[in-house]
Amino acid sequence: MKLAFLFPGQGSQKPNMLHELTKHPAMETVLQESTEVLGESVYNLDSKEALASTVSVQINLLVSSVAILKVFEAEGVYPDIVAGHSAGAFAAAVASKAIGFAEALRIIKLRGQLMEEAFPSGYGMGVITGMDEETVKELTYSCFSEIEPVYTANVNAPDQITIAGSVNALNKVLNRAKEGGARTAELLNVSIPSHCSLLNSVSNSLYQELLKVKFQQPVIPYACNRTARLLRSPEQVREDLAFNVSHPVKWHDIPSILCEYGTRLFIEMPPGNVLARLSKKARPGARSLSVDENGFGNCLVLARRFCSRHS
Amino acid sequence: MKKHSWKKRLEAKEKRIEQMQGITKSRIIPTNKMVQALETLIKPGDRVVLEGNNQKQASFLSAALAKVDPGKLYDLHMIMSSISRPEHLDLFEYGIANKVDFSYAGSQSLRIAQMLEDGKLTMGEIHTYVELYGRLFIDLIPSVALVAADKADAAGNLYTGPNTEETPTLVEAAAFRDGIVIVQVNELVDELPRVDIPGSWIDYVVVADKPYQLEPLFTRDPRHITDIQVLQAMMIIRGIYEKHQVKSLNHGIGYNTAAVELLLPTYGEKLGLKGKICKHWALNPHPTLIPAIESGWVESVHCFGGEVGMEKYVASRRDVFFTGRDGSLRSNRTLCQLAGQYAVDLFVGSSLQIDAYGNSSTVTRGRLAGFGGAPNMGHDPGGRRHSSEAWLDMKTNDDPLARGKKLVVQVVETFQNGNKPVFVESLDALDVKNDAGLATAPVMIYGEDVTHIVTEEGIAYLYKANSMEERRQAIAAIAGVTPIGLEHDIRKTDKLRREGLIALPEDLGIRRTDAKRSLLAAKNVEELVEWSDGLYEPPAKFRSW
Repeated sequence: MKLAFLFPGQGSQKPNMLHELTKHPAMETVLQESTEVLGESVYNLDSKEALASTVSVQINLLVSSVAILKVFEAEGVYPDIVAGHSAGAFAAAVASKAIGFAEALRIIKLRGQLMEEAFPSGYGMGVITGMDEETVKELTYSCFSEIEPVYTANVNAPDQITIAGSVNALNKVLNRAKEGGARTAELLNVSIPSHCSLLNSVSNSLYQELLKVKFQQPVIPYACNRTARLLRSPEQVREDLAFNVSHPVKWHDIPSILCEYGTRLFIEMPPGNVLARLSKKARPGARSLSVDENGFGNCLVLARRFCSRHS
Repeated sequence: MKKHSWKKRLEAKEKRIEQMQGITKSRIIPTNKMVQALETLIKPGDRVVLEGNNQKQASFLSAALAKVDPGKLYDLHMIMSSISRPEHLDLFEYGIANKVDFSYAGSQSLRIAQMLEDGKLTMGEIHTYVELYGRLFIDLIPSVALVAADKADAAGNLYTGPNTEETPTLVEAAAFRDGIVIVQVNELVDELPRVDIPGSWIDYVVVADKPYQLEPLFTRDPRHITDIQVLQAMMIIRGIYEKHQVKSLNHGIGYNTAAVELLLPTYGEKLGLKGKICKHWALNPHPTLIPAIESGWVESVHCFGGEVGMEKYVASRRDVFFTGRDGSLRSNRTLCQLAGQYAVDLFVGSSLQIDAYGNSSTVTRGRLAGFGGAPNMGHDPGGRRHSSEAWLDMKTNDDPLARGKKLVVQVVETFQNGNKPVFVESLDALDVKNDAGLATAPVMIYGEDVTHIVTEEGIAYLYKANSMEERRQAIAAIAGVTPIGLEHDIRKTDKLRREGLIALPEDLGIRRTDAKRSLLAAKNVEELVEWSDGLYEPPAKFRSW
């Protein structure tokens, strides 16, 4: 029976998230290292204003996830298997020891910068619930044009699909979805059309940069965002970190594949509880917790009990 | 003239056993030499049966097999009832095995679909259980059987007890064709409670490092049964069991059927049906059947396998269950599937998708769960010759060659979670056929075998339909607001009701407002324990108090 750590991506961030992390020496160490790598205090980056930029958001997410990962490790709890959603994949890669934290931080900052430069305005993402992927695909095809492109993006659950592209096309799809009986169909508060081919150039640049980084053999399996397979090779992890931003994240299969490998306890690193809620819905037979909602103390106790029963 | 050997298989077996001298001089393999033993006793390309049953897993043997050197042992052809554990698929990842014939892969359905897509394994065929067992004696004869038992004695006799499942059949296929049978046991004892499999069928015994894995797959917490499922259960009891006088049956596992089991002592009692219906069961020891047993409804139950936590209860109810002289349950999946095919009046189960003609499937794109026992339980066996009241009730004309049918019931709600309609124009199974390169679409139950469909709207008595068109109309009438249901003209409803092709709850004297969870004989696991006088011992995950 295995323990999986989940690492959240863009959308889960909240103001002051770093200031609210569980106080612990291991956490302080990570934040200190972040400050050194970034050349400025990482605590400056979690204000509401700073989080308007995806660069800060992604840095915050990585720092927060790795900080609490290190606290768990200091307390003797190690995950058997890891999965991160989009930006969260970087923390997952750090947890699997495929890449070091400092390198991951440098690259995720670059990721944010490349994304921001490529699409300053006019683009974004939306989310539709109550409709399946096939139906949403048909809607996006019908609204697509070269000048106003739109694509299906992440599949977070069988009936929760995100779309990405130009805002006008997004609105067309969202309206058609509402008419077609979707439960909800709304724009997301992001300005970059992530997880579709519009970000191919970002991926290519990231990959070139990542080729310069030495990746190690992952010590635990890492769930691939694009294919929902478990990856065990350094090259495959490098590829996923480069290319997940320009491909849909098949998140809905990930709790299932993790459970098929024996996972029965999921713990989501802060901030938020998005992934824990999704995995609870996808696999109610396993237990899903988030540090943010359940509290670090409770998560630690339950993880220790679980690990001692199943080692 | 060159002498032709007519016992090549035996000669090959003797050679392998000779090579075991360095590992053991007896029939006991030392626990820590298991990997080496497997590398010696199995050869590349062998057909290997591995348990892989529905409930019982020879987990020590499968873990050891996954550790063999793929340079020494590779390209095995695995034959498994149930692909259940991660290491079952690791075998293919590592190249130890390359082909698999199986029946059920529910708990590995995503990974196996991924591996098929990635070309990491070759599939033989998907089967229903008893079909796979049959092939073990025809064209899938195994060279090696890796099985699990509770206890063995010095002579290699085995006690498999409540969890006997299909072990005797798997062993027989190998034992009587000069295959090699290796069994993992929880312990070696001087005297067995009883002999389930004789030692002369067994080649090697190993004491596992921990007891074989066993999952409680047939326990359903009544807490999760909904009012709609209670309504459907009332319709089933009144509109099918009572109507056709169903005396013998099998329930496919699910909350729907658990609701039926829990309504017999209450709603069934109110209708005065005790002693008239539901007397003989082909069924695993469902905890949810306890109230009906305690209330005197159940004369006999034959089981496919055991159920964790039910051992003491079953042993104390000897008149109901098949029990050995030692007092513990004897299950047998092969015989129970046979009984479920020919000897029961009715099968009822749930499904994920049904098309306009009643074809039913649980496959979804991107998953390959296989079938388990449903296609066998859920078909009308052409070879049946004996009649029973319910079977004859399916006869719809006076043709001199007319015969009855097994009642095959599908119970579903019109929509699944996530707003997915259950009633569809075209089954996903057709897409899966193409995606996975299967020869035929993986339909679980064919429309021509389905005699009744029950939804939250009502019952469609498909056995009464005289044409495909009538069948389609009857289904559409109870398919709610699914695309199939929307083609139904409500002006036709009364005609269908008059002709007995459909029945709404009110036609059965059931008020929707009466369908409440409070009608269940037990509303949670604690109450089941009370019904059992404390003899039922729920596994930890079902205990919330």
